[in-house]
Amino acid sequence: MKRNTIVLGITLFLLATFAWAGWANWEYRKQAAEKRAAMEAARAELIPAAGSGDLSYSVSPLLQKPAPQFKLPDVSGKKVSLDSYRGKALLINFWATWCAPCKIETPWLVELRNQYAPQGFEIIGISSEADDLKDDDKEGWAHDRAAIQEFVQKEHIDYPILMNGDSITKPYGGVDDLPTSFFLDRKGKVVAAQVGLTSKDDIESKIKKALASN
Amino acid sequence: MARSHCKLAPVLIVVMNLGALTALAQSPMADSSNRSILNGAAVEYLYPEQVTVTAGESSAVAMHFRVGEGLHVNSHTPSQDYLIPTALSFPDSSGVRLESATYPDGQEFTLPVDPATKLSVYTGEFTIHVRIVAARGNHLVEAKLHYQACDKEACFPPKTITVPIDVIAK
Repeated sequence: MKRNTIVLGITLFLLATFAWAGWANWEYRKQAAEKRAAMEAARAELIPAAGSGDLSYSVSPLLQKPAPQFKLPDVSGKKVSLDSYRGKALLINFWATWCAPCKIETPWLVELRNQYAPQGFEIIGISSEADDLKDDDKEGWAHDRAAIQEFVQKEHIDYPILMNGDSITKPYGGVDDLPTSFFLDRKGKVVAAQVGLTSKDDIESKIKKALASN
Repeated sequence: MARSHCKLAPVLIVVMNLGALTALAQSPMADSSNRSILNGAAVEYLYPEQVTVTAGESSAVAMHFRVGEGLHVNSHTPSQDYLIPTALSFPDSSGVRLESATYPDGQEFTLPVDPATKLSVYTGEFTIHVRIVAARGNHLVEAKLHYQACDKEACFPPKTITVPIDVIAK
């Protein structure tokens, strides 16, 4: 009798362990699926659906809204504001010197800028080095500036490059992935966006959209 | 009847243990690659958590890391000078000196849109072979691994993770 009770007790304990393990596993998978879905949704706001070649306008927090204003220094130290580009279709390109996909798309941007500039199109490159420099870190800023200038020279970039992009990434949705680009119409409204490297054709189609939007 | 219960019990125990172990194997502890990405770290330190070495002498330790699925980090010797290399460091004040670190060769990797540019990267698991010299005693070292991760389309900001390792020097 006593032995049976012990066996029953152990069995019940193991049953409870099994049930707990099953519940814990289910709960974890549920939470992981929710997190993954949230991440996918956040990215889907900016990345066009595969093959669609366009963005889902209804879900992005920035699409069809005025682009957040900013005023950042260029490599010479001169402050440049977004507002000064009102009237031009604009591509705001967040990039970094350490970003291989950014380096690949840069020649496309240079070519497209030259091609569409006569129609009122401009590009602003915003360097987001993500090195958390303090405002008074002169040496750090000088290092960043030198790296950016070297990149600009090597890639023959002839559009404005602004520094300290990390200070404005929050209103632009975080910009954790580089490159990230926003396409603005002549009134400063975001009409398209792109996260990561796509293709020159894709970028060009969004530039045309920015130029065509009113 | 009671006797048949007794015979069945071991079978039940084995079956249920297997079930519980299977469930636990799918738990967060086992699904570490997903966990790393969700927590924002592209690379995680695997092992060893603790090593025992001879005090004052150069000792070899193999440190194992894993890059999250679908991601890569630049190797210690990237193919382009503008890329950020993966690098391990030990803090000066830890009582353990990093004498040398031997990094694995990078794997060749190309982005789909630019097959001409060959990158040197780590994916999956990689091991850094270090030689350390520790003063006598127990040292909880918080080494640092600096890396910069990307996937096939985008790159993520450079990151430094803490690599905790308990060094017992006798």
